[in-house]
Amino acid sequence: MNGFLPHLMRIAELRQETPDVRTLCLEFADRSVASGFEWRAGQFALFSSFGAGECVFTIANPPTRGGRIECTFKRLGKVTTSLERLSTGELVGFRGPYGNSFDVEGWRGRNLVFVGGGIGMAAVAAPLRYVLDRREEYGEVVLLNGARTVPDVVYKDEMQEWEAIDGVRVVRAVDPGGEEPGWKGEVGLIPAVFERLGLKPDGRTVVVCGPPVMLHFMLLTLDKLGYSREQVVTTLENRMTCGVGHCGRCNVGRFVVCRDGPVVTAARLNDLPEDL
Amino acid sequence: MILGWRLTDAERREWLERLLGSGRRVVAPTRDGGLLLFRPIASPDEAVLDYGNTRWSPKEHLFPRAEELFSYRLTADEVKLEQRAPDAVEQVLFGLRPCDAAGLARLDSVFLDGAPDASYAERRSRTFTVSLACDSARPECFCTAVGGSPGGTDGSDLQLVHLDGSWLLRALTDKGVQLVETVSALWEQATDEDWAAAKECQRAVEEEIARTPLAAEWAGVLDGAFGHPLWAAVGERCLGCGVCAYVCPSCSCFDVDDNGSAFCGTRCRLWDSCGFASFTKHASGHNPRPDQPSRYRQRVLHKFAYYPLEHGSFMCVGCGRCTVLCPVGLDIQQTVRRVVEEALA
Repeated sequence: MNGFLPHLMRIAELRQETPDVRTLCLEFADRSVASGFEWRAGQFALFSSFGAGECVFTIANPPTRGGRIECTFKRLGKVTTSLERLSTGELVGFRGPYGNSFDVEGWRGRNLVFVGGGIGMAAVAAPLRYVLDRREEYGEVVLLNGARTVPDVVYKDEMQEWEAIDGVRVVRAVDPGGEEPGWKGEVGLIPAVFERLGLKPDGRTVVVCGPPVMLHFMLLTLDKLGYSREQVVTTLENRMTCGVGHCGRCNVGRFVVCRDGPVVTAARLNDLPEDL
Repeated sequence: MILGWRLTDAERREWLERLLGSGRRVVAPTRDGGLLLFRPIASPDEAVLDYGNTRWSPKEHLFPRAEELFSYRLTADEVKLEQRAPDAVEQVLFGLRPCDAAGLARLDSVFLDGAPDASYAERRSRTFTVSLACDSARPECFCTAVGGSPGGTDGSDLQLVHLDGSWLLRALTDKGVQLVETVSALWEQATDEDWAAAKECQRAVEEEIARTPLAAEWAGVLDGAFGHPLWAAVGERCLGCGVCAYVCPSCSCFDVDDNGSAFCGTRCRLWDSCGFASFTKHASGHNPRPDQPSRYRQRVLHKFAYYPLEHGSFMCVGCGRCTVLCPVGLDIQQTVRRVVEEALA
């Protein structure tokens, strides 16, 4: 079986989240694939536009919302530019799922904080949606979403639905200078806003996904606030080609992101070399 | 008891003739455009067996430089994906040096362990390897430093040893036995004295190579020396040309890219190198390995720390091609020794 041969998926729906971020909702062209298709929150896949190539995105919808596959991506390179040109009804390639997943079962009963910076919000989406779909199994949920500017905020409509849920607090933040008249959210970089929230570490799990520089400063802030690195989880977003540990591209020291990750505790990050 | 035969040069030639006549593709060192390369041969005379080593390793016959994974074609509202059927011809890699055969064993560990790679596995299953023990060393050889030897059998189904104008042929695997089963009854069994003579010859080559083995525990030392300042000093010289990875018998990094338009084309797998600046560069512009020293360090640590800590052997077989062809004279073995020496100091 050629592992590089993708499934074909049809774009059932698309949402322009921001001027350069789009969400695709995909359905398997071959319906018989859909029924047996399983994945876990946090796993990723390779999405392709024929003629442009493949790109790794996290699967943004959790298995509690099966039947479709969603991905949210930012137009940056060749593949994302090509994918963004596609319309509803067109076909894309999909292979996966790959990698490990969030320990959503192990989080039962805990208070959870999700921190998503920029397009990193897509990586937070699957575990967050999973938790919200099984709301009664978890404690208090806080979402801190950061974007550069107000127009860059993703999942705007859904965020309103989330904050209406009992026991869920949504905090929106934009970088200084990114605010607009009438902006009711926070202004500040994510680590600073997180600190202002005054969340005590006890019994919490923190999921942090975002650009490497944000992750770096968030970890320092969490250390300062007394969070242990065992209670902090992130995803590594290295470039990957194959998804199965062969192509040699995504390793951080001995840690092969596609095989051993992408989900990793901050404690595990301590053991990895500064090759991020 | 060693299973093997003693062949005259005429018998060796006749066997090669039979292999060619059996419908198999025989790939052997041969002259091609002024270089000695592994290429399919049409007659036994094309095989060059008195050689040092080829410019390129034979890995491209299992892991091609560029390979089509499938083709795509878009029609009005459909996409057709097609895989080309494998050519299904059995191939014999004939006369490869023990270092290159060991390189194939490394590729096997990458592509066959865990989640096997379909096209590699398919090609590997119809490939036989007949290695050729070394009766002399080149200045760049360092197989003995990395666990190999001039008569190393890792990755070989059969091994030829040139001895006093005749050939010893040793069967090492069932596949090897299969490759000679129609003719071996005609050959004279090699004696214990023959094997002792072969061993003596290889010991002499080992002495000629004269390398101190790199200790297995150095993998851990190197892993811990990630932040050592020496990497910057040594890696600064690297130009990032990637020749080391391309000629390496064990380098296995690749990229996947589309070749064609949005309407028709192929998705291909291509060799890649961790020495290239774009290898790990994110679409955002962020690059975990932003400079050449960090990329050179990755290459050395993958081969001498990360891989051995997982698989127990170095991901380097000591062929020395990278040392000879590096435009700035970087010597990977010397780098390892220097870093370890300084890290332990």
